[in-house]
Amino acid sequence: MRSQLAYCLLVILSFCSCRKDDKSVFDLSPDERINQALSKYQAALTAAPNGWEARITTGTGSIFNFHFKFNDGNRVVTYADIDTTSSGTSRESSYRLKALQQPSLIFDTYTYLHMLADPDGTVNGGDNGAGLQSDFEFAIDTVTADSIKLTGRYNKTKVTLYKATPTQEAAWQNGDWRKALNFQYLGRILQYFKRLSWGANAYDITFNNQQRTIIFAWVDNSGNPHRVTAHFYYTSQGLFLVTPFTDGAVTITSLNSGSWNAGSNTLQVQVNGATQGAIAGAIRPARIDLQAPRRWWQFAGQQDSYWASNNGFHVNGVDDAFHVRSIENFAFLIFWPAYGRQSGIIYDLLGYIIVKPDALSLDFGSAYIPPTFTTDGRIIFREFGTLGDVPPAATAAFESTNTQMTEARGYYLVQTGATTYDMVSAKDALAWITWEY
Amino acid sequence: MMTLKDNTQMKHILLAGAFLLCLLTACKKDDDLGDIDNIPGLGGDTWTPGPIDNWIKDSLTVPYNIAVKYKWDQGELELNRTLVPPKEEKIIPVLSSIKKVWISNYVAEAGEIFMKRLCPKFFVLVGSASYNPDGTITLGTAEGGRRIVLYVLNDFRIKGMSDYTPSDSNNVKMLFHTIEHEFGHILHQNVLYTPDFKRISVGRYTSNWNNVSDETAHQDGFISAYAMSAPDEDFVEMISIMLTEGKAGFDNLVNSITGTSPNGTTADVAKDKLRQKETIVVNYFNDTWHINFYNLQARTRASIVALIK
Repeated sequence: MRSQLAYCLLVILSFCSCRKDDKSVFDLSPDERINQALSKYQAALTAAPNGWEARITTGTGSIFNFHFKFNDGNRVVTYADIDTTSSGTSRESSYRLKALQQPSLIFDTYTYLHMLADPDGTVNGGDNGAGLQSDFEFAIDTVTADSIKLTGRYNKTKVTLYKATPTQEAAWQNGDWRKALNFQYLGRILQYFKRLSWGANAYDITFNNQQRTIIFAWVDNSGNPHRVTAHFYYTSQGLFLVTPFTDGAVTITSLNSGSWNAGSNTLQVQVNGATQGAIAGAIRPARIDLQAPRRWWQFAGQQDSYWASNNGFHVNGVDDAFHVRSIENFAFLIFWPAYGRQSGIIYDLLGYIIVKPDALSLDFGSAYIPPTFTTDGRIIFREFGTLGDVPPAATAAFESTNTQMTEARGYYLVQTGATTYDMVSAKDALAWITWEY
Repeated sequence: MMTLKDNTQMKHILLAGAFLLCLLTACKKDDDLGDIDNIPGLGGDTWTPGPIDNWIKDSLTVPYNIAVKYKWDQGELELNRTLVPPKEEKIIPVLSSIKKVWISNYVAEAGEIFMKRLCPKFFVLVGSASYNPDGTITLGTAEGGRRIVLYVLNDFRIKGMSDYTPSDSNNVKMLFHTIEHEFGHILHQNVLYTPDFKRISVGRYTSNWNNVSDETAHQDGFISAYAMSAPDEDFVEMISIMLTEGKAGFDNLVNSITGTSPNGTTADVAKDKLRQKETIVVNYFNDTWHINFYNLQARTRASIVALIK
């Protein structure tokens, strides 16, 4: 009985297993259908006579605009608002459509788009090994007549290409975008203070073109310092703040760039598209934080501790102008208020911290008599003497730093965070040092 | 009863045989392979050839059967690294430098046939460096004597380019170091060097080489820290550094060894070891491949100097 059942089963199996109808539910093979989809996308890409506009938000949160024009020969012409070159001069590179896990658009040789993804931090201001976390290999999500939705395959950047109008394309070709990028020239202002002024208003700004941020700094009527960081993006007119900046009755939503005056290092701007204003270097803050020097000095002094600086002085656009970092085994500089007492004077110390095999060591430094706090918000250091023995190889860095410290006009202090200050030369604002607690 | 049982057994066997036949024959399907000359593939692997494609075809593919992939293909590269493709304007300068320094000199010393037979057949070019988690960067890799990946093409600058600075010469030398190194592997994988080579530094090879500085490696009789990783690497590091630094550069390196290594090797012993290795390399090239190593070295160094000085 059992064997009969087994035979029945065998019979059923052998008949069922031989179903020969293997017709696909589709007319074409998967390969053919993939190729069909790719050629459909290819046709869509090249069917934009004025190219495509794209806005990319990188993984680091910066917003960039691009203009792409694809042709049938695997070539794409690109503009980008990354810098004055990329916004004014087009660059041709190659692209192709390929079926990876999804049909994908690959920008397969270097163009402006790759600058955002470049793992070399000097290219885009991002971290080495990661860049700004952007993409140049995109999966194609949706294609409509006017737009193509893409998702980056590595960093998952979302990008939508919109078919450009003739006006939009012209804005790249005739230099409107290039002019918007005039803000990049603010980097040529060597003074610490870059003042945005219009009408009766003035703010000190810190402009970061690579990270697409502006920091507005001001002191209110009660003397309290404020700092606000605003993200921005460019348009062909100028820059727009992602979140408008407000201070009481003052609101800034956009800054349209005018011409850059290379002689006076001044950029003409229109605030909110209407009011004429300017951004220029200044040798003192728009409004001085009068209490800052004392606050800075006392903060460390009361805790019997010190402020530290990794890079020494920045002078005339050069970081570590006196090469303190080149001192052998240099770790960092410290400023220690009321460090010690000698001959009845409680002196401050600018110390050089050196790495020793088993510890950090304060080997030598410049001593200053107690500083003068002026009523107009400056701090002035005067030399008291030298502590310890300065190694011969470090003498140049030591002397230059000491000369800079004892600058007769003294320094303004700008509070940049809860425990960070910038100390800026009051003589010309061309020299400054950053202190961290 | 016995007969009945026998009959049943017989029947069983017959039935099973019939089913087997059915199973074997029933499934015969005439499965047409279709037009095998026209398999569509997934697309995207061909493009309109441009000047770079034509240059590669004429200068490398036709004479030496070398393919160069300069367009982005993630599948050729590490999937966990941020990398970018090369700038188009860098590709021909890099490849023609490779041709001048590596291919032409070997051809001049060993002949066309030698090069056509042994050269790696596939180059992949990458624009940026490959950043390792420990903060170092990778400049080149090679696999199986066939595929070589070259990085940092976007920083490749040689004498005559507008933004060339002397510090760029390091990138140029590293490029050729990589290629000569990998080509050295191909040579010894075809004909192995004498076992005497492995005896020179026996017991000093270590997987801890990456924690050793080049200076300390020199003091132990190795030409570089990486040479300490294995005898094969030692052998090809000797070849590549001797070729890229030239005779004077190598002599200078050997003669400047001072002090005693942490392993207790004195400077004289270290110098002697490097000279022994040099002799084996030179003899290997002469006996195995009929190449005068010193001539090849002079030519290679001169071609590199022409690019950087």
